[in-house]
Amino acid sequence: MINYANRIIDFKIVYYGPGLAGKTANLQYIHRCLPNANRGNMISLATGDDRTIYFDFLPVSALTVRGFQTRFQLYTVPGQVQYNATRRLVLRGADGLVFVADSQFERLRENVESFRSLEANLHEYESTLDEIPYVLQYNKRDLPNLAPVTYLEFVLNRRAARVPFFEASAIEGKGVFDTLNTVSRMALASEFGVERERRHEVS
Amino acid sequence: MKSRNTVIQQQDAARIHEILTHFLGESGAAEALLIDRGGQLIAMDGDGQALDAVSISALAAAAFSSTAAMAQLLGEPEFSVLFHEGTKRSIHVSTVDDETILLAIFDERTTVGMVRLFAGEASRAVGSVLGEARTRPKPQAEFAAPLSEAESRSPWTPPS
Repeated sequence: MINYANRIIDFKIVYYGPGLAGKTANLQYIHRCLPNANRGNMISLATGDDRTIYFDFLPVSALTVRGFQTRFQLYTVPGQVQYNATRRLVLRGADGLVFVADSQFERLRENVESFRSLEANLHEYESTLDEIPYVLQYNKRDLPNLAPVTYLEFVLNRRAARVPFFEASAIEGKGVFDTLNTVSRMALASEFGVERERRHEVS
Repeated sequence: MKSRNTVIQQQDAARIHEILTHFLGESGAAEALLIDRGGQLIAMDGDGQALDAVSISALAAAAFSSTAAMAQLLGEPEFSVLFHEGTKRSIHVSTVDDETILLAIFDERTTVGMVRLFAGEASRAVGSVLGEARTRPKPQAEFAAPLSEAESRSPWTPPS
């Protein structure tokens, strides 16, 4: 949303992915690292055992571009299968997406199912992944029994336009800001002139 | 789907401010927040109490979306009003249009009936302003050229 009255552009970035993939850990790390001046309060709507039941929310502010201050509102969705209705609600109005995949071999099926649910939920809003900037994050690279990145790429990054991907260990902060910076730049770029980053930055 | 397609120009903001100010005066509510259903704050007016308006907007949009989903499960198109009653302050949320909701915060100086009455009137007026704003083409001036290298730099520096 562009507001000329206060010269602010707002973006909504949604972290999507299967349960326990580390979506909340991404936001918690960002919240810990950014100075108070650049972030608001983090809100987590979670169950008693810290599983996200609706969403996490963290507003962060960034650069001023051409006289407009840019603000990014970061959301996570609940990853557990039974919460698809709420996942769909959180997706509404997303300007950018991060798909957080769990790199462990035994979670491959959940990753694929979650990715399919993302596409289906976007379809409910008459939107597709072709219209929204998104990146992939292969998280939990600190754990054993990892699927090779080439394999994750083969499974998850095989649409016509390949997108940037990042290896991460969100709990340690690795890859968290690379992911955030890239999806934010892509969302910002899509607002001005042509969208460029989407077509490259893929190794 | 995208809320970023909404562009609020100076004249839109002035008209919205006028409508919300009138609504607050008539209803006796303390604060009025105009919120995109995706959770983004479009405009606010009120007595200036310190509010985390950004967080309230995200939560109110989510709550309203949940009730809309519940309504659909009951075969209703939508529950058009959401009301939370507190001991000192209460919240009234109502539909403006398919993209927007109006949230009012009020206390014992008025009643939910008064707020509801004038919220309907304000919603129609604001909806008309937003409808015009959405049909207007996006201004080209600042947005025509792609971002330069400097403008495309990473927004945040990770901790070393």
